[in-house]
Amino acid sequence: MSMNILCAPSGLAALERPQKGIIDIASAGFEGILVDAAMCCSDHELEFLGICQNLPQKNREESKHRNRAKVSEHPEELYNNLKPLLEQCKKEHLLTPITRAPFLRRNTKRGDLKSVLARLAEESIHMCSEIGCGYLIVNPLFAEIGRGEEWKASREYYLSLAGTALENNVMILLQNQCRELHGRLVRGNCTEAEEAAAWIDRLNAEAGRECFGFCMDAGICSLCGQDMREFASVLGNRIKAVILRDCDGHYETAMLPFTCVNRGQSATDWLGFIRGLREIGFDGLLIMDFSTTASAFSQFLRPQLIRFAWDVAEFIKWQISMKNVLKKYDKRVLFGAGNMCRNYMKCYGDEFPPLFTCDNNKDRWGEWFEGLEIKPPESLKLLPPDCAIFICNIYYREIEQQLREMGIAGPIEYFNDEYMPSYYFDRLEYWEVSEQ
Amino acid sequence: MIGIGVQTKNVVNDNHPEEGFVMLKRAGFSCADFSLNAYLSNVSLYQSEKNDFFTQTIQELELFFTPHKQGAEAAGITINQMHMPYPVHVPGGDREINDYLWNQVAPKSMAVCAFFECPYIVIHGFKLAHFLGAEELEWQETLKFIDSIAPLAKEMGITICIENLYDGIGGHLVEGPCCNGKKAAERIDYINDKYGAEVLGFCFDTGHANIVGIDFEGFITTLGSRLKVLHIHDNDGISDLHQIPFTFAKSRENLSSTEWDGFIRGLRKIQFDRVLNFETAPVLTAFPEPMKRDVLGFIADIGRYFCEEIQRQDVINS
Repeated sequence: MSMNILCAPSGLAALERPQKGIIDIASAGFEGILVDAAMCCSDHELEFLGICQNLPQKNREESKHRNRAKVSEHPEELYNNLKPLLEQCKKEHLLTPITRAPFLRRNTKRGDLKSVLARLAEESIHMCSEIGCGYLIVNPLFAEIGRGEEWKASREYYLSLAGTALENNVMILLQNQCRELHGRLVRGNCTEAEEAAAWIDRLNAEAGRECFGFCMDAGICSLCGQDMREFASVLGNRIKAVILRDCDGHYETAMLPFTCVNRGQSATDWLGFIRGLREIGFDGLLIMDFSTTASAFSQFLRPQLIRFAWDVAEFIKWQISMKNVLKKYDKRVLFGAGNMCRNYMKCYGDEFPPLFTCDNNKDRWGEWFEGLEIKPPESLKLLPPDCAIFICNIYYREIEQQLREMGIAGPIEYFNDEYMPSYYFDRLEYWEVSEQ
Repeated sequence: MIGIGVQTKNVVNDNHPEEGFVMLKRAGFSCADFSLNAYLSNVSLYQSEKNDFFTQTIQELELFFTPHKQGAEAAGITINQMHMPYPVHVPGGDREINDYLWNQVAPKSMAVCAFFECPYIVIHGFKLAHFLGAEELEWQETLKFIDSIAPLAKEMGITICIENLYDGIGGHLVEGPCCNGKKAAERIDYINDKYGAEVLGFCFDTGHANIVGIDFEGFITTLGSRLKVLHIHDNDGISDLHQIPFTFAKSRENLSSTEWDGFIRGLRKIQFDRVLNFETAPVLTAFPEPMKRDVLGFIADIGRYFCEEIQRQDVINS
């Protein structure tokens, strides 16, 4: 499996007229979408199910659909409601490998909707089967469930879905949740990684086959101030999908990663996030959810925004898969003999030792740095064809061009030390580099 | 019997410490958390500045704190816990400061703790996960520090308490050392087995836990009898404000946005019978000076409320 970059279409593509949004998503480079069943059966609709016939208007989008049959009342209509979106995806060759079943509001008191949620989840599984979607996110039950009773209630709920999921080759993904406590969000079900891992293992053991996994929501981890490296490392390969979204750590939003900034620093622990996923060798689905950011942008700028979102996702993918790229090659050399080379050697020097490093500065040729001989670039011409050159210098494109112009045809990769498994306490100044 | 305590900072001063202890007693406290950390501020340390307070000999320090000890005794206040200055390691700080913290401040703090006949001293774990890359590696460094003072703790009959802390990323406070109750419990057991004595325990800080949305009840229950001391204070879930419990609400329902019910349930479950200690020194600078006695009295009242709720027989029996 290779890491696919998907887009959460909510707020980008309209349900009944999805053409423009889906084309923008496909043109930006996304490989697929998260099929969000909440687009046809929102938490708002569920909140008022059986209470009032005409939904209190929440937003323009919802009011446009007031006349259609409510999926909450007719779960069998779930697939039909999503069909225009799915057909448009097919047309644009977008994958639909993961779906999210309808879910309740965080502050709901609708503990009476368990059977409705179960029915909606069942219908979502059937839809997954129809469209060849392998994963379905189903949130744990929480409404009006007493503290300490969460596992019991969710166990019963999930196991009731296991048979249908297995029959349809769909894996159910649990997702970390916040809990609303008198106006603020605190840790909820599956927020503690150990608990989530234990739930999944027990569910799989009881189901008799691996039909439960995990979807890690980075936004929820950030809201709960969690150490995302720890979180990912505890859950390990149970994590099949990751939702990438940013927030200020206090309010739940779906902002474009790296855009929640304070004091010149991101408010989200992207370092821990990347460390964790890199450590576990994550290669599942990377779902970009930036619906809050998109909602503030003019329609006119949406295509550019979606393209930029794809660039951001691609960058994160590159960072996560850094170690997997190192693993791909049996032999490697580095280009660059400064801090980035030093950081490479600190974190990966033992596991993936380079043959040598090289540098354009002829004064340093023949020197040893971090246990590596510094050779002139010309020496790269003598490398065997399967040996990769990892550029450890921020002038990636220029150096790559230089090497290609020298006639080097072998693999060239970019190494980057922005998100490393660990750091030195200091950084070498330029004069210290050669002294060392 | 459950005691009620509060920090000495902003109440007990070095010129007339006995007056501060009398004020605490009159406000309704039976115990105090001696703010030893006030003698070496963390703000200065992070700026690589240190004062020379802890360069004094142990005898000189004992002499300095004798009026404090006598004042507490005379007022009938038990020094139940104290806070070692923190940090005890400045990441990337110069060697001189880190040597001073480790080799002077820490052992002398233990000596002062013993001098006060205080059973618990709270320390801060090292904040090194950013550099070292993993919480476990960070803990190994804290462990080295604990190992350096644990023999003293055993000899002096003191329990060192680790505390759940936070760290900051772009102004967003996130979990720091000791925020995993299960791991903390395992680590405490390991150390205590190793030393054959209760040299390590836990200090649960409600404000720090609230900032990162930790489930109070679950955390306290996991710690069980390893929970020795408390830092009770409240905040808005965003900043570490050290304010009076029940003073923050986030919705029109105007219910407390901190899970005090879970706090009570947790302490009740583990049959907590130690000291309900408030770490609310900043409250005393927020209120006007003439209201200090009233404010302290109100905090002590909240302590009594907690105490009654924790010990409610009808709930315990049910």
